[in-house]
Amino acid sequence: MNFAPIDWIIVVTYLAASVAIGLAGRKYVGNTAHFLVAGRELGTWIGVATLAATEIGTITFMYNSELGYRYGFAALSAALISGVVMIFVGRTGFVISRLRELRLMTVPEYFEVKYSRGLRILTGLLVALGGILNMGVFLKIEGEFLTVTSGLNSRYLIPTMIAILLLELIYTTIGGMVSVVITDYLQYVLLSIATIIITLYAVHFAGWHAMVSRVDELMGPSGFNPIVAPKFGMSFLVWQLLLWFSIHTCWQTTAMRMFSTRSPEVSKRVMTWTGFIFLGRGMLPMLWGIAALVLFGHGPLSNGVPQALVQGKVMAPIDAMPAMLSQLLGTGIRGIVVAGMLAATMSVNSSYLLGWSAVISQDVIAPLRRVSGKAPLSDKSELLINRICNACVGLFLIFWGLYYTPPGAVYLYLNITGTIFLAGAFVCVVGGLYWRRANVAGGYLAMLMGAIGAIVPFFFLHRSESFSGFASFGLATAGLLVGSFVGAKPKRPVSQEVDA
Amino acid sequence: MSAWIHFWGAWLIISGATFAGITVIVAWKGFADLRSMFRDLGAEKGDAARGREGRSQ
Repeated sequence: MNFAPIDWIIVVTYLAASVAIGLAGRKYVGNTAHFLVAGRELGTWIGVATLAATEIGTITFMYNSELGYRYGFAALSAALISGVVMIFVGRTGFVISRLRELRLMTVPEYFEVKYSRGLRILTGLLVALGGILNMGVFLKIEGEFLTVTSGLNSRYLIPTMIAILLLELIYTTIGGMVSVVITDYLQYVLLSIATIIITLYAVHFAGWHAMVSRVDELMGPSGFNPIVAPKFGMSFLVWQLLLWFSIHTCWQTTAMRMFSTRSPEVSKRVMTWTGFIFLGRGMLPMLWGIAALVLFGHGPLSNGVPQALVQGKVMAPIDAMPAMLSQLLGTGIRGIVVAGMLAATMSVNSSYLLGWSAVISQDVIAPLRRVSGKAPLSDKSELLINRICNACVGLFLIFWGLYYTPPGAVYLYLNITGTIFLAGAFVCVVGGLYWRRANVAGGYLAMLMGAIGAIVPFFFLHRSESFSGFASFGLATAGLLVGSFVGAKPKRPVSQEVDA
Repeated sequence: MSAWIHFWGAWLIISGATFAGITVIVAWKGFADLRSMFRDLGAEKGDAARGREGRSQ
């Protein structure tokens, strides 16, 4: 056991405070808009806190440090693209401003505004399925982090992760977005402190020059230049560019933060400032991974990368960073860092629970009721359905998340599963907002061909993630163009829909 | 390769510095935003409750 009593006290105090503060949000929830988008009352800085906390989890630290460990400095290119694209989207308001003007609560809701109710339901199903499966790998990876860092016996892993998920579920189900925003604030501050502490430790103990030398020795120029790196190259960089544009504009949990802001102008400011945080969100953990490679990368080679060797035990690259923390951090500091990581875990999971369950309740259940001719639900019943969906998603994750292991590098797996629905959704949203000719037939084709483009090459033809990502975006675009030119012209001009 | 090392070194410094700087600003100004959000949500909920009372009379 690596934890001292003081470390446990810090962690338990944080957990108790987080749940208590989260439950306090309950008194501000009166209707669905309060529950899902916090009454659209987010200001710039609390918006930055909640957006950053939502997209920075232990899973983020784990997969980014794994990338740094496996691919060296060349991996930083992915983080650079994510941050720069976010700043660009924030500065220009590309997609996000127009979506915010529509006063939506979910991304698939736009598909009914522009296309049709049927396409909204199909998109809702694809978004919820892809999103929940994407989130499905979080618990196991986060559990690994906790086990390796704290030295907790692995037989306590499942009960511990279930307990943490249930704590998140309690305040998310009761207080919705209001509780999530309050806890995100606390969690963001804590996770940032942990990030800064780990970065200082990593650089101090590994040393910049040693990091550069080790990467050069193991990988040569491909450890620095992403264009010549075998796993990356130009196709990877262009795919990342498209992927991050689609994530920052159409990823449900990010979009919900944009929908929760006071105005389109505030949403642009939130996106811009969070873009700078996104640079650190990716680059700093990648640096930790390189530090772990220097300090512990002395095990047998696997796919050209040395396994981590910690106290005689061989570990996979993804476990190298938490193993490094367990060895470097002193008593007390370890408790603060793990509390910070738990904060990151809880902020992501609670937001994702809310995001995906919102899609099920708003974009699948509610439109299906309308299609079957049933009367709209009252505010109270709608809130209840949202809470039930929340609980169901949480329970599914407990079973799926703890038993499923993703193949290969986690970052790339998450990217490709996200692409299944993001390619079609992004093409449909951009086409719908900026191209008058986009129609329902084009929308259906884009969603279906985008999904096929990611699934068939990657899972059946075993092509690379970059190739599959390209195919997905390419086919989705072709689908929208062909369907829109062949099908009937849409009746209403886009400007009227945006102003509606 | 030396150019790449300097390039990544510069970006790491930029990302670390902005991450730390924005954290301080968010911790300070985010709290004020949070209070303002509570005030507005509380007022909105109060108006809704008064509306319901008005209708029932």
